[in-house]
Amino acid sequence: MVTIETLKKRKSRRFSSDRIKVFLFLIPAAVLLLVFLVIPIFQCLYYSLFNWNGMGPAEDFIGIINYKKIISDNVFLRALGNTFAIVGLSLFVQLPLALFLAIMIGRGIKGRAFYRTVFFLPYVLSETITAVMWRILYNPDPSRGFINAVFQAFGWKMQDWLGNMNLVLFSIFIVLTWKYIGFHMLLYITGLQNIPRDVEEAALIDGVNKRQMLTYITLPLLGGTIRTSAYLSVLGSLQVYAIVWIMTKGGPVNASEVLSTYMYRFSFVRFQLGYGAAVAIVMLIISLIFSVTYMSITRRTEHIA
Amino acid sequence: MSDSDAKKSLKFIEIIPVILKYIVLVLALLFILVPIVIIIFGGLKTRGEFYTTPYMPPIPPKWGNIIKILNMPIFWYMMRNSIVVTLASTAGVVIVSSMSAFVFARIDFKGKGSLFQFFTLGLMFPATVAILPIFLIVRQLGLQNNLISVILVLTTFQISMSTVILRNFFMEIPSELQDAAMIDGCTTIGFFWRILLPLAKPSLAAVASLAVVNTWNDLLVTLVLIDKERLWTLQLGVMQFQGQYGQDLSLVSAFLILAAIPAVIFYIFAQRHIVSGLTAGSIKG
Amino acid sequence: MKKILTLTLVAVFMVSMLLMGTSCKGAEEEPAAPAEEPAAEEPAPEEKEPVTITWWHIQTEESQKAYWQDLADRFMDANPHVTIEITVMENENFKAKMTTVMQTGEVPDLFQSWGGGTMNAQVEAGLLKDITDKLAEDGFADTISPGALGVYSYNGRNYGVPRDMGMVGIFYNTELFDKAGVTAPIATWADLLEAVDKFNAAGITPIAEAAGDKWPAAFSWEYLVTRIGGQAAFDAAANTRTGSFTDEPFVQAGYKLLELVDADAYQDGFLAATWGDAATIMGNGEAAMNCMGQWGPGSYRENSADGKGIDDKLGWFPFPMVEGGAGNPNDALGGGNGFVVGKDAPDEAVDFLKFMLTVEEQDKQTELGMGVPVVKGATVEDPILLQIIEGRDKAEYLQLYYDQYLPPAMGSVVNDIVQGIMAKAMTPEEACQMLEDSAVENIGPRK
Repeated sequence: MVTIETLKKRKSRRFSSDRIKVFLFLIPAAVLLLVFLVIPIFQCLYYSLFNWNGMGPAEDFIGIINYKKIISDNVFLRALGNTFAIVGLSLFVQLPLALFLAIMIGRGIKGRAFYRTVFFLPYVLSETITAVMWRILYNPDPSRGFINAVFQAFGWKMQDWLGNMNLVLFSIFIVLTWKYIGFHMLLYITGLQNIPRDVEEAALIDGVNKRQMLTYITLPLLGGTIRTSAYLSVLGSLQVYAIVWIMTKGGPVNASEVLSTYMYRFSFVRFQLGYGAAVAIVMLIISLIFSVTYMSITRRTEHIA
Repeated sequence: MSDSDAKKSLKFIEIIPVILKYIVLVLALLFILVPIVIIIFGGLKTRGEFYTTPYMPPIPPKWGNIIKILNMPIFWYMMRNSIVVTLASTAGVVIVSSMSAFVFARIDFKGKGSLFQFFTLGLMFPATVAILPIFLIVRQLGLQNNLISVILVLTTFQISMSTVILRNFFMEIPSELQDAAMIDGCTTIGFFWRILLPLAKPSLAAVASLAVVNTWNDLLVTLVLIDKERLWTLQLGVMQFQGQYGQDLSLVSAFLILAAIPAVIFYIFAQRHIVSGLTAGSIKG
Repeated sequence: MKKILTLTLVAVFMVSMLLMGTSCKGAEEEPAAPAEEPAAEEPAPEEKEPVTITWWHIQTEESQKAYWQDLADRFMDANPHVTIEITVMENENFKAKMTTVMQTGEVPDLFQSWGGGTMNAQVEAGLLKDITDKLAEDGFADTISPGALGVYSYNGRNYGVPRDMGMVGIFYNTELFDKAGVTAPIATWADLLEAVDKFNAAGITPIAEAAGDKWPAAFSWEYLVTRIGGQAAFDAAANTRTGSFTDEPFVQAGYKLLELVDADAYQDGFLAATWGDAATIMGNGEAAMNCMGQWGPGSYRENSADGKGIDDKLGWFPFPMVEGGAGNPNDALGGGNGFVVGKDAPDEAVDFLKFMLTVEEQDKQTELGMGVPVVKGATVEDPILLQIIEGRDKAEYLQLYYDQYLPPAMGSVVNDIVQGIMAKAMTPEEACQMLEDSAVENIGPRK
């Protein structure tokens, strides 16, 4: 236990002169972010104040009307709800599952490399093909759709996975889990590797059993990684786009609409680019609120530790 | 002695969880593998077979799709472009992000929180959303139809994620190491290059794997910034088989299998470093 | 340590210099090049100034893509001063890329268009070139079917040309019709409902529908509006705004569509089905009918198990008439593909379009399954294609698909509400109200 405490102690260092130079380390990233990210954000902010169909310059200034419309649009609220549902499911289903698998195949299992490669494979495949493949798996006709074929074989009730408005979001979540579980698992496996083995060996000598080891040593030491992965998962879920768009286009009738598909529909299908830009800004604000809150909370807990 | 006795009794109790563990593992494997196997099967079928019996094994396998794609000169141009873009962006992401992550993980200064927040913006404003203004900027820089623009943009949009991940891993490296290095007369930057980076090899490999995959699978940025087919990447090649009124799924699958191979190879290579890196590190520590 | 730091900085600096270097080049040299050339006063009068035509099309299918390339090559051979740069994209990607370039006000010299509302918006933004006079030269405009050419005109001026123009109708499987004892053509809505029952009784899926992609399903609703309300109803709602989209024909059309849903006319899972899914069912001979445009047979073929489709047992008839409807049974819903001309395009771009639209070239396009020819005197042998052409030319009122005809912001609302009606997520009244709201915003208030 003492070892952990010492490990966790990350006291602030004294300021020394060569540290100033270190700030130069931030310059390359900062320049890129400024040019390709901050300028676009301001441009978006500007467009969001216009009624603009994207053809030629934006001229019809309408102030914050786009924002007012967004907030009062039921479809937007639906998209927001769906997005939050995906965030929640990801946090409380996908991540624990990824952690479970990571701990299971992280060590002490034969063919670790095989499992690690297989679980990461879906992440390697592009979102386009993921969506197209799962569309086929979800085909309601059991002679074409594998999932209903399995259901049929077991005598379960076959489902219209993407056509049933109550089921479609869940069906999409399964695909997202399939795709991203490998990502989080990779983070956890890397985090596990970073835990010095001597800590665990010492614990073993002290007679700690496996379950105690997990709850008192492995998980706390993995804390930072779990927080990071949760943070990335929330922000990633807020931006989920291609898979939903290709699989359902947000349908049937907005049942699987998420913020990004809502934004995309207005920008690239309806050519209401001013409105689309406003949606993008709203998405940014939601993400920022989460991120700022998260950071202030974790910083507090890190300081306590 | 008593230790091994304890182990024996533990084993007996633990046998049920072990079975459970394997059941879960097998289910998870099936869940992951079935769609992938179907894609591979799909690449070895005709278009009609794919639509009609998508999950049956291809008997006999039709190698025509694969051969056809390998014989397309454009496939190899695209392969080259994809490799160039991916390697350059990944290198860029790893270098730039490890530098900034180091600052955020290891150095305390006023306003660090807000600055770090700024560095995470890329997670909140994805390239899909920013693509219209990005096009304008690239056009102003005169970098249209130039792979450099694709590399720069793709690098930028991965800085945030990589910085967040690396910062976490850098923080986990014991600070005693830094103290020791300082006492030995090492500067902060020296510590970064000589001690931290070699120690963080698994983390760097993990971030590189993610960067490779994300770059490799980009579609929109390249689509918007590049007009010339010869400069397109493999993901854009996929759309050669998608038409206005439908798509040739078997050719798409075949193309995707071929297109995914380099990324998979890279990952298999990288994961060795992810897993083996620390053994070397802990000896030093 | 300092060395490493300096090295990194130098690297960053060099990259940024490289960037600035190229950006300067881009800024200075490119505009300079064309500006200098006329000043050079080339003496040879016959030698034309080299021009480049950029051309974006969406025919990704191999043989069609190769044909366009070949056409461009032949044009370049005949006109050595012209270079045609082709960019081929898949439909959805094309739209995304178009959107990003349009904001700059610069568009390709030639690009895919379906005419209608999107094209009108592009005209209003000054992105397209008026080619009316250039088309009239040598009587070229008269060689094209006037209805088809009209789709690419706005306020009487032409900004592009069609190359394919057909109409939506019912494709059917003759074998399944025989099996269920249904006789084609089905002329009325009542007959259609009766036929649906017969097919269901015989265990055959009556209609293949793709409501997941939305637009295929919207065809049926739009046709019902056309049959029930005729040209007058749509004109009043969409053009003169003396009427509204909540008028009886629009609502009625929704209820008629629900009659089909309630009669179990569609395959299982039709709400999420894509056009590819529906085409597979048709191509494999598992559904009796499909309401689709001229590209139907090609897709049935490509998506079928044997790659042959049901060509030998495929028939076609116009959308059934609704009893008591105000529309003329000859009225048709249709559309097709064409190219519009960007505002800065050289005259040679129009010459190229003319080169594309000779009887000879159109015949080649027909042979490759690229659509229904629009040039008068084009050879067509395929019986179904002939029927479609006959129907198209017979129609006094040929309505472009609503999602193309209406302003872009409204077009997708049509597709969305039809899916909503079929899913019973909204009543036809609610659906029409949504469309009307969008009309007020995008066309103007009711007069």
